[in-house]
Amino acid sequence: MTEAVFPEWRDKPLDEVLYECRELLEDTSFPTVRRWREAGGKVVGHFQVYFPEEIAHAAGMLPFKVRGAPVEATEADSRFGSYLCSILKTSLELALSNRVTLDMFVTHPICDAARNLAAVWGRNFEYPCQILYLPQNANSQHAATYLRGEYDRVRRGIEAIAGCAVTDEALRRSIGVFNENRALLRTLYRIKRETPWLVSAEDAYVLLALGGIIPREEHNELLRFTLPLIEQRTAKRQDRVRVVLEGAFCEQPPLDLIRAIGRSCYIVDDDLLIGLRWILDDVPPAGDPLKSLAEAYLECSTHSPVQHDLRKPKHEMLLARLANANADAAVVMAAKMCEPGLEEQVAYTQALDQESIPYFVSEFEENMTSFDHLEIQLETFIENLLFD
Amino acid sequence: MSYAAGVDVGSTQTKTIIIDEHRRIVGRSLTDTGANVMRAAESAFQQALGDGGIREEEVEYVVGTGYGRYKVTFGNTQVTEISCHGRGAVHMFPRTRTVLDMGGQDTKAISVSQSGEIQDFCMNDKCAAGTGRFLDAASSALDIPLGDLGPTALRGERPVKISTTCTVFAESEVLSWLGKGKKIEDILLGVHESIATRSVGLLRRVGIHEEVTFTGGVARNVAMVETINRRIDGQVNVSEESHFIGALGAALFALDRILVSRTPAKAAEDTA
Repeated sequence: MTEAVFPEWRDKPLDEVLYECRELLEDTSFPTVRRWREAGGKVVGHFQVYFPEEIAHAAGMLPFKVRGAPVEATEADSRFGSYLCSILKTSLELALSNRVTLDMFVTHPICDAARNLAAVWGRNFEYPCQILYLPQNANSQHAATYLRGEYDRVRRGIEAIAGCAVTDEALRRSIGVFNENRALLRTLYRIKRETPWLVSAEDAYVLLALGGIIPREEHNELLRFTLPLIEQRTAKRQDRVRVVLEGAFCEQPPLDLIRAIGRSCYIVDDDLLIGLRWILDDVPPAGDPLKSLAEAYLECSTHSPVQHDLRKPKHEMLLARLANANADAAVVMAAKMCEPGLEEQVAYTQALDQESIPYFVSEFEENMTSFDHLEIQLETFIENLLFD
Repeated sequence: MSYAAGVDVGSTQTKTIIIDEHRRIVGRSLTDTGANVMRAAESAFQQALGDGGIREEEVEYVVGTGYGRYKVTFGNTQVTEISCHGRGAVHMFPRTRTVLDMGGQDTKAISVSQSGEIQDFCMNDKCAAGTGRFLDAASSALDIPLGDLGPTALRGERPVKISTTCTVFAESEVLSWLGKGKKIEDILLGVHESIATRSVGLLRRVGIHEEVTFTGGVARNVAMVETINRRIDGQVNVSEESHFIGALGAALFALDRILVSRTPAKAAEDTA
């Protein structure tokens, strides 16, 4: 693929680049995926959270992060129970309404609903719909071998669709591309932590999120261009509370909600779209690439309420995230009807109570359009901290 | 003498309070908000200046609050109505530990410390069933002026059950009771009890600790005060000026800012 699928930002000043990025992210017709396909490319849709995108990338396919969208689930509603979260319905809706066309779909059992998504999806489309089974016991000495085998199974499935072999050499090249992407995203998050007044919460989110809908090479180019310009900005630091936003590991809050939170405080770290940056460090580019990726999941991945590893109590990782970001408070959210997210709130709030860290708890939905109530409550919480 | 002002731009009415450095109220105003929120804020502020005989330049700091707080463009900063009602209620009734603020658009239960600091709070959700808007709907359905709703409801003896949780449907439910021949006062008492039930539900979520102060425009409704008292088995504090408490809280926050700006540390910071 030589033509860029997202050329609109090129040759523009930073503010216009960010405007184009926001426009693209809010376009629920996913023009970049359409352009990719029109140029003859194939697409692997992967549901949140922990998918090794390098495998799809090495096959020359576009890994498309399936994470719902603020659309009405008019067709998908009939495929699910009303008690399920929104992201499941709107993700399928994107495919049923032909907003995106995939060549393969992969999900993994992050929750009961997500586990069943592959079967529901598969009943509606001809292309393969697979489940990637991540190890339930990450502490087992066989976990890495098992996961490597799972990744290899996914590789074979992708090869069949791509019509080419996914060689170890191609995988190593892809790991290199993604290592650069992870490093750039770490820079973006360093800017958020150290100088949050230089980049608004929604702009940081948009820059991150585009990684799920454009090729990583283009994403890297975009980040290489924008991050130095953001760091050169001369915006003035404001007297705002620094918060960590936790709870958006799967369903995503609407951009307007992120904007509303960012109006009251500095979001200095978060778990927004953690599935685009779950490997915390570089994956070794040499050696057996599938083994390296499996080990990265087990030894070098970030927590979320849907990863089960006894060595990584999630509340401890939240406390570490707060400490590393020098945050004053936590904003703990959960998507409506999200069982893992809501369950984890209990452990999170207990830990925060024990550490006497102020926190604000709320729920959200990707389709919500009114933020007045949430905003006023959050503002009151922030005022209390400021006037303390 | 310097003055501090609080402008509370509510969904129905805009209130302004001006206080002096001794926290005495020296000027006030009350005006309908209407469609032009910014103009309402300016007009309320000017009226309060006139009421107190104060020149605009004598007001050193203005805090905007209420749902239109960001429209107080001449103000220095904004503080949410939750913080302001907590602060104002404790100033007016120093033993207050729980505040129920019922306005036209939403209802809030607030738990406060001795100093007026917010400990916890919760609001009604998107639905307006437990707010003043619900009374508006009943007033319009029964063609009774808003000010007469409370006294009329207190004459009721057998309140009807209002089952709807939606303000939009409340009007048709009220009409349906009328059609069944129920007395207007019984229907109105039912409406008040429905709102009181929801409001006390909010209060329970933050904990009902004595004393409870009832603020906001709806606190002027005698039947609402009565039905809430019955449900909490107590006596809420209600000020004659309950609808000004948000603006008063805002004015107190404004005065804080003035006093802080006069501390040597702050003065040095500003000079730097």
